[in-house]
Amino acid sequence: MIGAVKRRLNSAAFADERAGEMVASRSFWADAGRRFLRNRMAVFSVGMLSVLILFAIVGNLFSRWSFEEIDWNVLGRIKEDGGPSLENGHWFGVDELGRDLYARVVQGTRTSLLVGFIAGPVSVLLGATLGALAGYYGGRFDRTVLGAYTIWLAIPYIIFFVVWQAFFGRSMSQMILVIILVNWTAGLLLVRGQVMMLKNREFVDAARMLGMSDFAIIFRHLAPNVLWVVVIYTSLVIPEVIMMESLVSFLGVGIQEPNTSLGALLSEGASTMTFGTLWQLGFPAAVFVLAQVSLFYIGDGLRDALDPKER
Amino acid sequence: MLNYTLRRLLMVIPTLLILVIFAFYLMRLAPGGPFTSERPLPPAVMANVLERYGMDEPLYVQLWTYIKNIICCFDFGPSFAQKDRTVNDVIAQGFPVTLTYGFWSAVFVLMLGVPLGIIAALRHNGFWDYTMTGLAIFSQIFPNFVLAPLLVLLFTLSWGLLPGGGWNGGQWQYIVMPAIALGTSYMASVARLTRGSMLEVLGSPYIRTARAKGLPERTIILRHALKPALLPTLTYMGPVFVYMITGSVFVDVFFSTGGIGQDFIDGAYSRDYSILLGLAILYAVLTFALTLAVDLLYAWIDPKVRAGLS
Repeated sequence: MIGAVKRRLNSAAFADERAGEMVASRSFWADAGRRFLRNRMAVFSVGMLSVLILFAIVGNLFSRWSFEEIDWNVLGRIKEDGGPSLENGHWFGVDELGRDLYARVVQGTRTSLLVGFIAGPVSVLLGATLGALAGYYGGRFDRTVLGAYTIWLAIPYIIFFVVWQAFFGRSMSQMILVIILVNWTAGLLLVRGQVMMLKNREFVDAARMLGMSDFAIIFRHLAPNVLWVVVIYTSLVIPEVIMMESLVSFLGVGIQEPNTSLGALLSEGASTMTFGTLWQLGFPAAVFVLAQVSLFYIGDGLRDALDPKER
Repeated sequence: MLNYTLRRLLMVIPTLLILVIFAFYLMRLAPGGPFTSERPLPPAVMANVLERYGMDEPLYVQLWTYIKNIICCFDFGPSFAQKDRTVNDVIAQGFPVTLTYGFWSAVFVLMLGVPLGIIAALRHNGFWDYTMTGLAIFSQIFPNFVLAPLLVLLFTLSWGLLPGGGWNGGQWQYIVMPAIALGTSYMASVARLTRGSMLEVLGSPYIRTARAKGLPERTIILRHALKPALLPTLTYMGPVFVYMITGSVFVDVFFSTGGIGQDFIDGAYSRDYSILLGLAILYAVLTFALTLAVDLLYAWIDPKVRAGLS
């Protein structure tokens, strides 16, 4: 037994394997990836989120009803017959208007995740670019950006959001656009601080000596070094954006019917819960909470894996 | 200090102007208006209505009149959708409601969040510490619009303890759930922040000195650690107020408290320009006032900040 272990430890294959591992582990991202994979809750959350994404994409295949079709058999008797049932194909029951809740939850999850995963990263990209430029150039540009940032943070976003949504239609692309506009400050301060710290380092001086343009220095040399901040921040912004979208939909100025989102479904469910149709609140709430939980732990795991202070 | 206050107050004016001009043009450039409906009005009537509200003039003239009326007579104009009511009436009716439960919500945030954070720091890695971490995660996952229906489900539908909405002149039963729904997530953040700064302060050399002197633990915490530990919490209250105003729109709509949030949403639906503008200004002024109050309080408490201002 011990002999076998010794033989294995002395074998060339084992040495190569270890050496390969050591070489590979030198990269910051490989290290971070390994740390992330060691975080069981985060990995489990990635799995949970993947299931949700799959649910949003192919969930419709398992539905016997479309999300806008009214089932006249249960309309009027929703409390008695509209609950979740395997017989009539309404896995999650029906909503107040007799439409299949399962199909609507699939559609709502799709909307919410799409808004989150498009608007979140794009707004962080916008904020980070502005922050990087402000931090790099400093001076008047920096002061202007910072001034606009302070003013913007002092205005409750809901004002802008409600006015915009109510006046310019309520399609999904409008929603994504307005969320990006509202969130243009995402990650700005953090990236600005990082860039201000990095811009005096030797490698930036070296790049400048070589005659690189400011643009190239920012995007080729500084950007990879602040990427970890951007990744962490994006993981925090995505659930926030989903929450924002849901809140606005809850208020009734979200996406136009018959399309729906988790917030709108929650709102409908909440308004009918006095009638004893609790599944209309329960299923959307469960999906929403599941999405938030998994995004929360993924963000947590990313922060632990990427923050150099943790190393 | 006075200088700083004045400078901050002067900052408010251009900011508000930008907000008003931006919101004004944004609303007017959008198609439709408060008087367009399924059954269009005859052109002559429409012209009369528009003239009555001064909407036949060019946009910049209307904007100028609007701003002039606010400055000279504090007149925010008539509501377009609610006949016979002015914006001032709407605000006078709804704002006290929003302010009342907002105040109690802030009390709830501070009175529960701060002690919870301190206890969690004192019992580091103990039961209360874990409870608090759990609460922080809970509040992130259950935002107010998920929490509020759950509260109604428990307190109204299951136990019948509290009314599920309405205001009834501001009896306490009607304030409890709006205040909790509005405050819980900020309560958790306040607790987490207080815990962090308390832990930091407790680890600092001067607390060790106080311990070495043989001071009782009670005195150390209440006299020496508490004040500096609460400073970060205080600065955080500024943003908290901003978020709470956003949240109050939701609370007004969900609990039908009759606050201004409902008017705001209704105004958006009916294209009630003057209500929207007036409430937007009110929300903005409120945020500025609250953040300024927090900043001044901060400067008053922290000598280092005060020195930096003058």
